[in-house]
Amino acid sequence: MADMEDYAYDYDYLLKIVLIGDSGVGKSNLLSRFTRNGFNLDSKSTIGVEFATKTLEVDGKKLKAQIWDTAGQERYRAITSAYYRGAMGALIVYDITKPETYENVSKWLKELKDHADDNLVVELVGNKSDLEHLRGVPTEEAKHFAAENQLLFTETSALNADNVDLSFEQVAKAIYNMVKKNQLDLSDYSGAKPPTGQTISLTPTPGAESNKHKSNCC
Amino acid sequence: MGASFSHLGLSNDVVSSVVSLPSSNTGKKSSSKSKNLQRWTSSGLSTPRDSEHYTDLDDDWDSNVENCLTSVNSQPKFIENKPTFEYPLIRKISSGVKSSTDDGALALYAPHILQEEESHKELEEMNAKLSRYHRFKHLVEESTVDMDKLKKMAWNGIPSELRPISWQLLVGYLPTNSNRREAQLHRKRQEYLGLIEQEFTKEKDAQTWHQIEIDIPRTNPRIKLYGFKSTQRSLERILYLWAVRHPASGYVQGINDLATPFYQTFLSAYIKDETDVTQFDPSTLPKDSIDAIEADTFWCLTKLLEGIQDNYIHAQPGIIRQVNELKDLVRRIDTELSNHLDDENVEFIQFSFRWMNCLLMREISMESTIRMWDTYLSEPNGFSEFHVYVCAAYLVKWSDELKKMDFQAIMMFLQDPPTKNWTEKDVELLLSEAFIWQSLYKNATAHLRG
Ligand SMILES: Nc1nc2c(ncn2[C@@H]2O[C@H](COP(=O)(O)OP(=O)(O)O)[C@@H](O)[C@H]2O)c(=O)[nH]1
Ligand SMILES: [Mg+2]
Repeated sequence: MADMEDYAYDYDYLLKIVLIGDSGVGKSNLLSRFTRNGFNLDSKSTIGVEFATKTLEVDGKKLKAQIWDTAGQERYRAITSAYYRGAMGALIVYDITKPETYENVSKWLKELKDHADDNLVVELVGNKSDLEHLRGVPTEEAKHFAAENQLLFTETSALNADNVDLSFEQVAKAIYNMVKKNQLDLSDYSGAKPPTGQTISLTPTPGAESNKHKSNCC
Repeated sequence: MGASFSHLGLSNDVVSSVVSLPSSNTGKKSSSKSKNLQRWTSSGLSTPRDSEHYTDLDDDWDSNVENCLTSVNSQPKFIENKPTFEYPLIRKISSGVKSSTDDGALALYAPHILQEEESHKELEEMNAKLSRYHRFKHLVEESTVDMDKLKKMAWNGIPSELRPISWQLLVGYLPTNSNRREAQLHRKRQEYLGLIEQEFTKEKDAQTWHQIEIDIPRTNPRIKLYGFKSTQRSLERILYLWAVRHPASGYVQGINDLATPFYQTFLSAYIKDETDVTQFDPSTLPKDSIDAIEADTFWCLTKLLEGIQDNYIHAQPGIIRQVNELKDLVRRIDTELSNHLDDENVEFIQFSFRWMNCLLMREISMESTIRMWDTYLSEPNGFSEFHVYVCAAYLVKWSDELKKMDFQAIMMFLQDPPTKNWTEKDVELLLSEAFIWQSLYKNATAHLRG
């Protein structure tokens, strides 16, 4: 209902992306900024997992990003980690004003390593760049860490929209390029049913996979 | 403090009984705690009875049960003892109303109706409501409240003026015996203050505190009441204390939501009828009252969570169980929908996790939630079992729409359902549908899972 035009299957590739990171760093607002151009100073906390999509154009191809926003609290890890499976990209978000959230990035990397596919594209995202005066994590340090771990990197502000589109697009492009280069193995894909027939899709054909993920996630 | 009451327009007697202000209106603070308790007091003797799930506090309370279980049990039942103390909540009602008819409370429900020519049918409806109100009032004023009767009536909705006391009875916080209420409330409120003192003078558990701090401003952000500092500080204390006293789960996001119907309902007992509790700044209340609201909320939340604690422990097995039950149920109730969800690769956990974790509070309004809890508190296992039937009724409600949607549309729809304008009628329909599913399938689902 929310987006009828997306409902019409007018895309070429479907990309599953997860949004992870500590509670309160701004994941949900990054997502609402990206998909609806909205920001909420007073949004509710995310419980379990929430879902949104947006279609991007890269190389004349329509990439539909299917993004899963997760709850940051430890207790939800068992539930949320089930969603890492089949993801092609992940954004690990921290808050540039809160060094603890940056220090936890390695924990989040480990989470991905344990639960996600190996060839996943990962981006490190330092959010709340509008709060420069409160900065606790130097850009250079995070950039360095990202390079060392082969992660993409951006600093964003969900509040004033700085770099938000860029950060998602960057991930989508990287996934797309990777797919083009080595035909990503998608056999573990789980999620939406692919469009019927006419479009090229990364996803398996209907039916082939539909009974693979019936078990409950935890 | 006390002086601030004048703007609430409470008359002296109302204030002193309802809000436990000092007997003078001058703003001097009374130290008498017992006055605070008085509002619950009337006389009578107890008939201890067991409810199936929420037993009387004195029967199962885990913390310092220095109580009178044995002595009460051995007391003779129903010693004639007429209530001598008029229940203050009810006084609040009648005193706020000009009695233009024999029944002031009619004006309370719909003052405009009295001024206009109304159709016979509407009048009849009002009369039915009114008589129901009186029966309810009578029930909770009994010296020993008949819990079976109360549950039966409360299942269909509690008049808002009688909700605070009814909820406290139903949850098992308030003794059914009105004689014991004052002492009990005094004890539990003192105990709460002691625990707060104890936990907040030592070093806080940083992680727990941090998470609560992040979530407080994200709690019912659209309702003005939850933006006030006083509300936020109260909720903070309640949640932190609960968390440190329940280390197996600790604070889990969503528990903040669950504290608010209690908080808001108990707060409503302290303010004037015409004042909308959702707009009310609690800092205008005396500290005694705030403490009492907080303590009552804390203990009732504790009671509620006792029944669903496995929703919040490691790996959240309670939620997983409920999600599986929901899936089984929907397969039986609406096979077509169930098949469609399967075909679209929609897993129940993807959309119903939050329904379980927050008891549908993220899906429906606070008002609707409060009405729903009247019923949940009257069901033997309202929050852990009946809730699953409510979720089934809720999902099946959208069956026609959902069956036309694909994975993505289904997810988006259920994440942001069109329930914003739901009225009490919608909730009641949902509850009665759930009741039917429960009576049809209650024992069948257990068998299914084997
Ligand atoms: N100043 C500022 N605040 C932000 C930004 N992004 C999010 N916030 C605020 O941070 C808080 C947590 O955001 P939320 O998106 O719920 O975080 P999540 O728990 O990671 O999903 C909210 O109060 C947001 O308004 C940002 O870019 N700048
Ligand atoms: Mg979030």
